[in-house]
Amino acid sequence: MAQPLVMMSSIRKQFGPVLANDDVSVTVNAGEVLALLGENGAGKSTLMKILYGFYAADAGTIRISGQPVSFSSPREAMAAGIGMVFQQFSLIPALSVLENLLAALPDAPWLQPRGSTKVRAALRWLTRLAPEIDPNRAVRTLSVGERQLVELAKVLNLDARVVILDEPTSVLTPAETERLYGFIKTLTSEGKAVVLITHKLADIAACADHIVVMRGGKIVDEAPARDRTPGSLVEAMVGRGVAGSLPPPSSPPTDVPLLQVRGLSADIQGRKIRDVSFELAPGEILGIAGVSGNGQFTLAESLAGLVPALAGDVVLDGVSIASRVEDGAISGDVAYVPERPLDNAVVADLDLALNLALRDVRQLDFFPDRKAAFRRAHELISRYDIRPPQPTLAASALSGGNLQKLVIARELSGRVRLVIACYPTMGLDVLATQAVYREMFRQATEDACVVWISEELDDLLSYAHRIAVIHAGEIMGITRREAADRRTLGRWMAGHAMIEAA
Amino acid sequence: MSAAGSIRIIAIVGGSAAFLIGASIFLAAIGRPPLATLSQMVLYAFGDSYSLSESLVKATPILLCALAVILPARLGLITVGGEGQLYFGALTGTAVVIALPAAPMVVLLPAMLLAGAIGGGAWSGIAGLLRARCNVNETISTLLMNYVAVLLVNYVIYGAWKDPASLGWPATMMFPPAAIVPSVFGTRAHVGLIVGIAAAVVLHISVTHTRWGIALRVLAGNRKVAAMAGFSFVKQTLLVMALGGALAGFAGICETSAIQGRLQAGISVGYGLTGFLVAWLSGQNFLRAIPIAILIGGLIAAGDALQLYSKIPSASATIMQGLLFVAALGASGLAGRGTARHG
Repeated sequence: MAQPLVMMSSIRKQFGPVLANDDVSVTVNAGEVLALLGENGAGKSTLMKILYGFYAADAGTIRISGQPVSFSSPREAMAAGIGMVFQQFSLIPALSVLENLLAALPDAPWLQPRGSTKVRAALRWLTRLAPEIDPNRAVRTLSVGERQLVELAKVLNLDARVVILDEPTSVLTPAETERLYGFIKTLTSEGKAVVLITHKLADIAACADHIVVMRGGKIVDEAPARDRTPGSLVEAMVGRGVAGSLPPPSSPPTDVPLLQVRGLSADIQGRKIRDVSFELAPGEILGIAGVSGNGQFTLAESLAGLVPALAGDVVLDGVSIASRVEDGAISGDVAYVPERPLDNAVVADLDLALNLALRDVRQLDFFPDRKAAFRRAHELISRYDIRPPQPTLAASALSGGNLQKLVIARELSGRVRLVIACYPTMGLDVLATQAVYREMFRQATEDACVVWISEELDDLLSYAHRIAVIHAGEIMGITRREAADRRTLGRWMAGHAMIEAA
Repeated sequence: MSAAGSIRIIAIVGGSAAFLIGASIFLAAIGRPPLATLSQMVLYAFGDSYSLSESLVKATPILLCALAVILPARLGLITVGGEGQLYFGALTGTAVVIALPAAPMVVLLPAMLLAGAIGGGAWSGIAGLLRARCNVNETISTLLMNYVAVLLVNYVIYGAWKDPASLGWPATMMFPPAAIVPSVFGTRAHVGLIVGIAAAVVLHISVTHTRWGIALRVLAGNRKVAAMAGFSFVKQTLLVMALGGALAGFAGICETSAIQGRLQAGISVGYGLTGFLVAWLSGQNFLRAIPIAILIGGLIAAGDALQLYSKIPSASATIMQGLLFVAALGASGLAGRGTARHG
């Protein structure tokens, strides 16, 4: 067998008291997809960030094509052919796609004449990957999925031989995911190695050649993909039997609406929603499906009353909760789990205790009781399994999944009447996802309305009472779960309105 | 030791060393024995009770102006308007004295000080309002308003408020004794110093231990999340700008009353800007600003004394002050960078 492309041996990395990687060895072969599987915080991303030169290992060696290397920065790793696409992207939102790609080239030109060789070089992967993205569009107008493709093109432009993808499918629509799988296969057929950090079994089934399962910083299982069943992988990942899937929440007891949304229109920097209307009974869960970037963010923000409604109203139990921007906090009856928690739900440089207390921070004493805040934080952190469990840590030190758990703990642990959850399980593993669903459904059984924006169509079809589809800021149709079928929902997602289907 | 702690120590030691070397080179270049002159400066700054009191006199407006920078900085705002707020506070405070020259001290003194603080607060509050409502950059607006305030003071002392008895010298009448801020410890140091130190302590406790401090930190960290929690950026911007401006305005009327005895040109020798630098040296920390302000006050006082007794041009004190700032800021920057690299 040929020399392995990358060999990492006995890698060890400690962050304060946390041992993120404990004597980990992996081998990456050219032309192969290595799947790194594990729960949030298992040490997958840390291991790959060491390979990428982002962190220095405390112990262990890295060999590339047999040569020992030691990277002190991602720049050096890139020069050696290692490229990584992060969960949090490093694109500059204000610049265009082309400018972002040009800026990442090692010899980025000062002048950028159209059609020059540089421009062609910058665009060569993007045109293969996503020919429909106009390179002159500003990155901030792209959906998350499109941004990921641009990020991937950026890495490939640097002639990476090893492409590391960190949870790539957690932000993609089903169609985009399929396309990414196809693309991963193309890359390996061209002799590149792909490392896929994931906790989704679907990713493994679709394209993994070799699987490494990590838990608590150690490798707990390693095998060729064909030798493992999904069940055994989940067992290795979570270290216990597969937790049974949740029972679907029972139907709401009454039809009398608690939440009424009437003709709601809003606009956040061009991301519009138009004339959205629906009613929810207490205990009812409305799933909102749709391709990301179709107004979900604006819908969630305007339901929460954080952006002014241009028209229409949101009435919760007879009281208008729309447009509370100037007159104070989000209503105490509303729990809001926004997308991208780092931007929208936490203060990165404040500690966990304070971030967990933000929901009712205005009710604190003028001299807040710190001990009480830390007690409460300890309790929530252990109940929601937030890692590392240190209330004094800044929120910026948490991984994406743990940040999401933090927001869930803050928003859903109390009693509310309306839950607005925007991609609440993005970046979470199986167990954490189930825990989030359990909290959401508990709120529903306690008679709260739940508006659940998601791209996990299977989950919506299993658990939501009704499913609405949003496209270009408008509701294309609403159906009961029992009456829903994937084809109709798919047509709605593509922008065909309800009339044709009905 | 924490990383921040070791950075600070490296910065202090390195900055002092760099300053001593720079100052020695400068003194040698103008033909003065460096070591002797430097030790003489220490004596002139803190050597006896008179020098100490002069240093404290200089430190007072610097400290108050530094606080006026640190408080908005806690909300992420950068203001450079201490000078203008100081002048405008002097102007409004003096207006009270001009209007009620014969009022008894119990009325005149508090009214004058309050008017000075309100004037400074209003001047700064304008910039705060522009920032909060119209998103006008507060650094630019405070900078430009400095010129307006200084020229407004010139306008009244050359015009309507000029004292006919001063024989053409542009100044108002002398303040009556009822409008003179009392001095403390039998020196020239005045009540402003006590107020400055007390304000620093109260503000420090407020921003670290109260709900208000949490509001400022949340607003500075993530405006979006702050809005969800119900903290108003508009309200807090106005509050910190007005409170900061009030402290600088208070410094202005204290200088006018206790030091000059009347409103005239040059009540401040760049105290606003010096306060800004002190704020940055302190790392936007209220308590650390106190010793730094006193140190800088000492340097300025020693410069004056050197000019008087050793015939060294007064500009050399300003040059050394500049050297000190560059050395301290440079050292803390380098120390922070070095530690971040290897941490």
